[in-house]
Amino acid sequence: MGDLTVQLEQQIQHAYATKTPLKIRGGNTKASLGRETSGEAMDMADHSGVISYSATELVVRARAGTKISLLNDLLAEQHQRLPFEPPSFAGEATIGGTVAANQTGASRPWFGGVKDSLLGLGLINGYGEVMQFGGQVMKNVAGFDVTRLQCGAMGSLGLITDVSIKVLPEFKAGHTLTFDMTIEAALEAMLKWANLSLPITGMSHFKGLLYVRLQGGAGGVASASTFLGGEKLASKAAEIFWQAIREGSFLQPRHDQTLWRWSGASDTLANTVPNTSLINWAGAERWVLTEALDTPLEGLVQYQGGDRLAEVYGAISAPQQALQQRIKHAFDPHGILNAGRLYAWM
Amino acid sequence: MNSLLNAPNKPPHEGVIDVSTFVSALQKILPVGAVILSKEGQRPFECDGLTVYQQLPLVTAMPETVDQVQAILRLSHLHGVPLVPRGAGTGLCAGAMPHAEGLLLVLTKLNQIVHVNHKTCTATVQPGVRNLALTEAVAPFGLYYAPDPSSQIACTIGGNVAENSGGVHCLKYGLTVNNLLQVTMVTIEGEIMTLGGAGLDEPGMDLLSLMVGSEGLLGVVVEAKVKLLPRAPRVQVLVAAYDTVTAAGDAVAALIGQGIIPAGLEMMDHLAISAAEDFVKVGYPTDAQALLICELDGTDAEVEEQLLLVCECFKQHGAHHIRIAKDAAEAAALWQGRKAAFPAVGRISPDYYCMDGTIPRSQVGYVLTRISELSQFYGLRVANVFHAGDGNLHPLILFDASIDGELEQAELLGGDILTLCVDVGGTITGEHGVGLEKMPQMPYQFGDAELAQFRRLKAAFDSEELLNPGKGIPTLKYCQEYRSLQHG
Repeated sequence: MGDLTVQLEQQIQHAYATKTPLKIRGGNTKASLGRETSGEAMDMADHSGVISYSATELVVRARAGTKISLLNDLLAEQHQRLPFEPPSFAGEATIGGTVAANQTGASRPWFGGVKDSLLGLGLINGYGEVMQFGGQVMKNVAGFDVTRLQCGAMGSLGLITDVSIKVLPEFKAGHTLTFDMTIEAALEAMLKWANLSLPITGMSHFKGLLYVRLQGGAGGVASASTFLGGEKLASKAAEIFWQAIREGSFLQPRHDQTLWRWSGASDTLANTVPNTSLINWAGAERWVLTEALDTPLEGLVQYQGGDRLAEVYGAISAPQQALQQRIKHAFDPHGILNAGRLYAWM
Repeated sequence: MNSLLNAPNKPPHEGVIDVSTFVSALQKILPVGAVILSKEGQRPFECDGLTVYQQLPLVTAMPETVDQVQAILRLSHLHGVPLVPRGAGTGLCAGAMPHAEGLLLVLTKLNQIVHVNHKTCTATVQPGVRNLALTEAVAPFGLYYAPDPSSQIACTIGGNVAENSGGVHCLKYGLTVNNLLQVTMVTIEGEIMTLGGAGLDEPGMDLLSLMVGSEGLLGVVVEAKVKLLPRAPRVQVLVAAYDTVTAAGDAVAALIGQGIIPAGLEMMDHLAISAAEDFVKVGYPTDAQALLICELDGTDAEVEEQLLLVCECFKQHGAHHIRIAKDAAEAAALWQGRKAAFPAVGRISPDYYCMDGTIPRSQVGYVLTRISELSQFYGLRVANVFHAGDGNLHPLILFDASIDGELEQAELLGGDILTLCVDVGGTITGEHGVGLEKMPQMPYQFGDAELAQFRRLKAAFDSEELLNPGKGIPTLKYCQEYRSLQHG
């Protein structure tokens, strides 16, 4: 644990000089995401530790290798939380990897994704230059938003060295309601309820049940609960359910299976995404588990399993592909940082 | 203005633009009347909301369709003509100031609300749709568009995307970047590109967020899909008066620290309170040194819970007067004073210059004290109106441009305030953008490596630097000259 910025900078400068591909790794919990690549290991787990945390400013700044579980514990001491509810993957996931892989939990439609909480970050580009973008304040529009550009870039535009994140207070009260519903009925109900100003922080459908999580002040939660009806889930069972949603543990593909992710408008009809196994984000995210040899599902991302040398994120238009290649080149001219992790051509 | 800013920003084609060929090709793309060449016709477009920077363009184009926008960009690219996109021109950083040798692309005629989906709470709009017009159009569904900059009656969604506009409610509901799902943009080559999507998180690098706040340097947005929010069943406004700005600042930090995030939390200092009260007469306590305006929203139960906590916190930190709006009319009146603060200050001074730094909330007391010292040093009054909840300051520097040298003094004072914001860990711009205005402070906030990275990123989109050249991101040469001036 400590500040390894100098070593990381030197490693990238050396890789730049020798055109050596690097494979960035934090807690090694996201090896199954993105495309399979090779390269010299760039270990981030020891580049860790909280740099600053001010509960009254609602900002925490930590090195990229800092574990999500550690951040959760630290924030909980001050009755605060990470707004985007990222998975901790058995306590090993790091904040750097979480940002790079854009990992968000069940509260996404109401409290935003990684980008909505991300205020700034440190980045070492493919030249080996140490840079800082954004900052620790809530509003900042100076310069291009290089900070948020990193969300989902899978480390292909630079090595994230530290991140500054907006945090929020813990909820004072909360519970989960369940409703016995088909996928079609659940999609209708979620659309209707998301339209109302209710303290909802999660709506997921799994195995014939719609789960609605209410969180907020005690009075607000109680009145919303009365309004919605349904069965109240025991608090332990609710905790286990939402943890499983966050950690993705309901749908772990076996070695011969593929997990597909669909993302789209929440009013998309159920039959548009056949064989949906789980619905999250009030209908805006749907998951399908298939046998590995199944042909790619149109419009879905090959999230885990299957052929990891394929273009798992699908194809994009030729002009946008060319643009992304130029952007990659602007950050990493020799293509040494996580080359091919997002797309074979990048 | 700053002598560096007056340097002619020549396009890379070094004066080989064949103006008559370019203009006649442009006239073939657009209907009669959509190409403006006369000085008189172009005068209304010579500046944005920061009127001290003015420049007539070579030609002004007002397309009505996306096809026309594409054709114009292709033509500009072909001829190497600089292009400055513009919405309603309400920006406050001279980001939409025309280029002397370039085309001004006015997008206000692309003003259609293409689609409202009240089920998914989204709307697809053209860039020229006015911010408030969108909120009004979706009101029958019980929805609204959250970002609400002070200029919302006039400003356009396209301009909001370009500047990442905020407003008084972004403390709880976020800036433009947090309320956007997708944009369709046209590149300088005239290619159409869609970034983001109908869902919440598309795979890959977040190009959508990169476009937000890029000040027209990367592409021209021709359509945006935005999120809408359901109107809260109850909105409660209250104001609290304090004897010192530090006490009010502490109350803000304590409230947020306690975990209460109001929908809006604004602060005004004594000069701003007096000016606003004189102007709109809403009953603000003019003896107060600082006034907090707080808006809570949610269900009845939620608002009642929060109201108790907020009042208790405000009192604990020395509020000597708390007024809770009894009805919507009183709430609107309490807001009116804040919303009218800029024109109110305009009544007590021939000119004013609005700054836009953001600082950590804990630094509010210190920074306001320093601003007061700087105000005395320069001999110019400063009224402070700001988004206290997120530390976004809007010091208004009062000056008289008809007095020789006073504008320059106001600019120097403004520059000192911005560097002060950086010194305490903040930024030179929270929501107004860099534009032309804050170019001198960019090398203060960013190092050479970051600035070079910005320039390479710009080149990835626009290698010939035709899109809004000379704004937003300073060139290497500019930075060197700026630094030698600072040290010389």
